[in-house]
Amino acid sequence: MLAYTARRIALLVPLLVGIAVLVFLLMHLIPGDPARVLLGDDATKEAVDRLRASLGLDRPLPVQLWLYFQRLAAFDLGRSIFQSQSVASLILARLPATLEIAFMALLISALLGIALGVAAAVKQGSPVDVFCMMFAQAGVSMPVFWLGILLMYVFAVELHWLPAIGRGEPLPSAIGAAFSGRPEVLLKSLSHLVMPALALGLSNAAVISRLVRAAMLEMLSSDFVRTARAKGMGEGVVVFRHALRNALLPVVTVIGWQCGVLLSGSVLTEGIFGWPGLGQLAVNAIAQRDIPLVQGVILTFAFVFALVNLTVDLLYSAIDPRVRLG
Amino acid sequence: MSKMGGFGLGVVALVALLGTSAPVTSAWAQPAKGLIRIGTDVDSQSLDPRLMRETTGFRAINLIYSALIQLDDKVSPRPDLATKWENPDPKTWIFTLRRDARFHDGRPVTAADVVFTYTTILDPALNARFRTLYTPIDKIEAVDEGTVRISLKEPYAPLLSYLDLGIVPKHAVEGGRDLNVNPLGSGPYKFAKWKRGSRISLEANADYFGGKPKYDKLDFVVVPDNTARAQAFEAGDLDLIQSPLSPRDIKRLAAAGKAAYAKLPGIAVTYLNINTKSENLGDPRVRKALAMLIDQKTIVDQIYEGTDQAATSLLLPSLAWSYAADVKQPAFDPAKAKALLAEAGWKPGPDGIMGKDGKKLSITIGTHSEDPNRVQTVEFIQNVLKQNGVDAKVAISDWPSFSGGVQNGRHDVGLMGWVALVDPDRLMYGQLHSAGGLNWGKYSNAKVDAALTAGRAAASLPARAAAYKQAAAELAEEMPYYVLSYQGFHVFTDKALTGFVPDPRGYLRSLAAK
Repeated sequence: MLAYTARRIALLVPLLVGIAVLVFLLMHLIPGDPARVLLGDDATKEAVDRLRASLGLDRPLPVQLWLYFQRLAAFDLGRSIFQSQSVASLILARLPATLEIAFMALLISALLGIALGVAAAVKQGSPVDVFCMMFAQAGVSMPVFWLGILLMYVFAVELHWLPAIGRGEPLPSAIGAAFSGRPEVLLKSLSHLVMPALALGLSNAAVISRLVRAAMLEMLSSDFVRTARAKGMGEGVVVFRHALRNALLPVVTVIGWQCGVLLSGSVLTEGIFGWPGLGQLAVNAIAQRDIPLVQGVILTFAFVFALVNLTVDLLYSAIDPRVRLG
Repeated sequence: MSKMGGFGLGVVALVALLGTSAPVTSAWAQPAKGLIRIGTDVDSQSLDPRLMRETTGFRAINLIYSALIQLDDKVSPRPDLATKWENPDPKTWIFTLRRDARFHDGRPVTAADVVFTYTTILDPALNARFRTLYTPIDKIEAVDEGTVRISLKEPYAPLLSYLDLGIVPKHAVEGGRDLNVNPLGSGPYKFAKWKRGSRISLEANADYFGGKPKYDKLDFVVVPDNTARAQAFEAGDLDLIQSPLSPRDIKRLAAAGKAAYAKLPGIAVTYLNINTKSENLGDPRVRKALAMLIDQKTIVDQIYEGTDQAATSLLLPSLAWSYAADVKQPAFDPAKAKALLAEAGWKPGPDGIMGKDGKKLSITIGTHSEDPNRVQTVEFIQNVLKQNGVDAKVAISDWPSFSGGVQNGRHDVGLMGWVALVDPDRLMYGQLHSAGGLNWGKYSNAKVDAALTAGRAAASLPARAAAYKQAAAELAEEMPYYVLSYQGFHVFTDKALTGFVPDPRGYLRSLAAK
C-alpha cells in the first residue's frame, strides 16, 4: 500500500511536467500578447516591444521554456504580469475558496445522488422511481450557469432566504467559531455556500443517482441479497449494508472523475455568485494572457485533480476488501 | 421504508434549517449603517493611480486619491487639489494647489508629489497604461510648494481633461510602499481592506479637505456575471449597480420601478474600424456603401434593446460643447449603397455577389466573443450585406486575439468600442490622424490631420469645437470609422440612497459629499 502510494505520487511528476509543457505551448501559440493587453490600446509599438523584452517574451520559445522549468524546479511559479504579486500567493489566497465550494458540491452530489439512486432502485417502477429519474434527467440537462441564476432568483430575490452573492467566513474557521459558541458564524457561512454548491453539485448528483440506481438494481436481484433476505435480515440492513456497499465501487470511481468536472464548473459558478476562487482568477488570467498565472492555476487544478483520484484509488481497498493495491 | 421516511424527515429538517437562517441572511442583506455596496464586474488589479487599468480600479482610485482637477458629471473640469489654473501661453499651464490637503497618513500634499506622480507615469519603465495621454508634456516642475508648472512640447488643449490622475505620495513610494495593493491618497475615502476577487472596502476620511463624507463605508463587491449582479441588487445584497448590464436586465429592472434608475448618454462608442489598406476597402465609396448597408436602427433597437443611442457621427452628444447634430455619417439605404458600388465598378455576378475585375467583394467582419451583443450584431450585419451582394464573412475570437489582429492591421472590419472619451481628441487624434498611434486602419487625409492638429492647438472651446466639426464632417464622407452607437450608461440605485449623482464614467464622487 505504501509502495503503491509512493509510486503513484512519483508518477505525478511527469504528469505535471507534461501539463506544464502543454499549457506553456498553448499560451504562447495562441494569438494575443500580454504586453499589448497590459499597456492598453494606446501603447506604441516601441513600448510594447520594450515590455515584451523585459518580460522575456522576445526570447526564443525553447529558451523561455527552459527558464520556466528552471524556476519550476525551485518551486517558483513566477510573478503575475498584471497583478504585481507572485503567482503562488495569488493562488494560495484563492485556492481554499474553490476547494470549499468543490468539496461541498461533491458532498451534496454524493449524498443526494446516492439517496435518490437507492430510493429509485428500492421503489423501482413506482412514482418515487419516476420522480428520482425525472430529477436526474433535469439535473443532467441543466447547465450550471442557468441553474445558478435560477437558484439565486428563487432563494435570494423571491424568498430572501439566502444571500445572493459573496462568501462568509471560511468554513474551517466558521466551524471553529460554532464550537466556541458562535453558531451564527457557521450558519452565515453555510448560507453563502449552499447555493453555489447546489448549482455546482446538482448535475453531478443526477449522474450519480442514475449510476447508483443501475448498480443497486443489479445488486438487489443478485443471489447474495436473496440469501440475506432468506436469512431474515431487515430490509434496511439488506439495502444499505449488503446491496449499497457493493454498488458503491463504480460510484466512487465516478466521484473521482466528477472532481474534475466540479473544478472546471467552479469557473462558471464563481462568476455568478461572486465567489472569490481560482476559477475567476483563471478566466481573467486567460483573457489577459497573464501567462505565468494561467500556467500556475492550471498546474494547481491538475495537481488537485490528480491527488483526488489517487485518494479515490486508495479508497477502493477500504470499500472492497477484495481490491488489493500493489 | 422507515429509512425513506427518515430521508423525507431530513429534507423537511433541511428546509426548516434554511427557514430559520432567514433572519441571519436578511440581516446580512441589510447594509450596516452608512455602508453602501457597489456592484462591479471585475476585481481591480492595481490601486496605484498610475497603473490603474480597469473600471473598478478607476472608480475606487477616484475616491481614495485627489487629483489636480476632477471632471464633473458633465465631464467638465472642476478644481480639486488645484484651486485655480492659468494657461499663459498655449504651451504652459500653471496650477495653484490648496494647502490644506493631506494624505491619509497625515503628511501634506505638495507640488513635489504632483511632480513625482507625473514624472513617474511618464517613465517608460513603469509600463503605465495611460502614459501616452501625457507624452506631450515636456517638463513638469514645482515652482514652490503650492504651485506646479507644466510645459508642453506643443500646444495640447485636451490635457486639462486628463489631469484627474490621482496624486501619489512621493515619500511613501520612495519609502517602498506598494500602492498597487496598499494605496495611500488624499481623497474623501481611505483604503480599508481588499479581499481579492471579492471586495474592496473603503472608509470615510474624517480629515478630508472637503469635509467628512456622508456615508461611512463603501464596498466594491465583485460579481462578474451581469445578470447575477442585477439579481443580487434585486435581492438587496447591493445598493448600486451600473453598466455593464445586459439590455434585458436594464429593461426589467427599469420596468419594475423598485429602484431609482438613471440613463445617461455615456462617453463611449461602439464602432466599426474599417481598414483602409484592406484589399476591397481602399475606395471611400465602398466604405460609404458599407455604412449604407448597416441597419443601425434595427441593431440599436432590437439587439441592444434601446439601451444605447444610434450614433450620427464621431462627435458625442455627451460632450455638448463639441457636438454638432448636422454632421451625419451615411444612413441605412441599400439602394444608394448599390448605386455607389456600381459607380465604384462593382457589378453583381451570376451568383448575385458583387465583383470587379474577376474578384469578389469579400469583406470579413470581426469582433470578440466576450460580448454576445457584438457577436449578434456582426452576424446580423453579415446577413444584410449578403442580401445585398457582398460576400460577407464573420470572424469571432477572444479579445486578445481579435484586438491583436486589428492593432496589427490584419482586419477588414472590426466591431469594437472606445470608452472614457472625455475629450473629442481622445476619439479622433490617435485613431484618425495619419501620425496617430492608434490608427490601425492606416487612414490618412491631410485635411483631417490639419483639423485634428488645430483641435489640439486652439485655446478656446468654440475654436476647438469648430476644428472637430470640420474633421468629423470630412470623416463622415470618407468612413474609416462607422460609429454604430453612443453607448448609454445605466445606473440603478436603492431608493434609500440619497445625494447620489450618476456620472457617465461610473465615478462615485457624489457619494463623497458631506
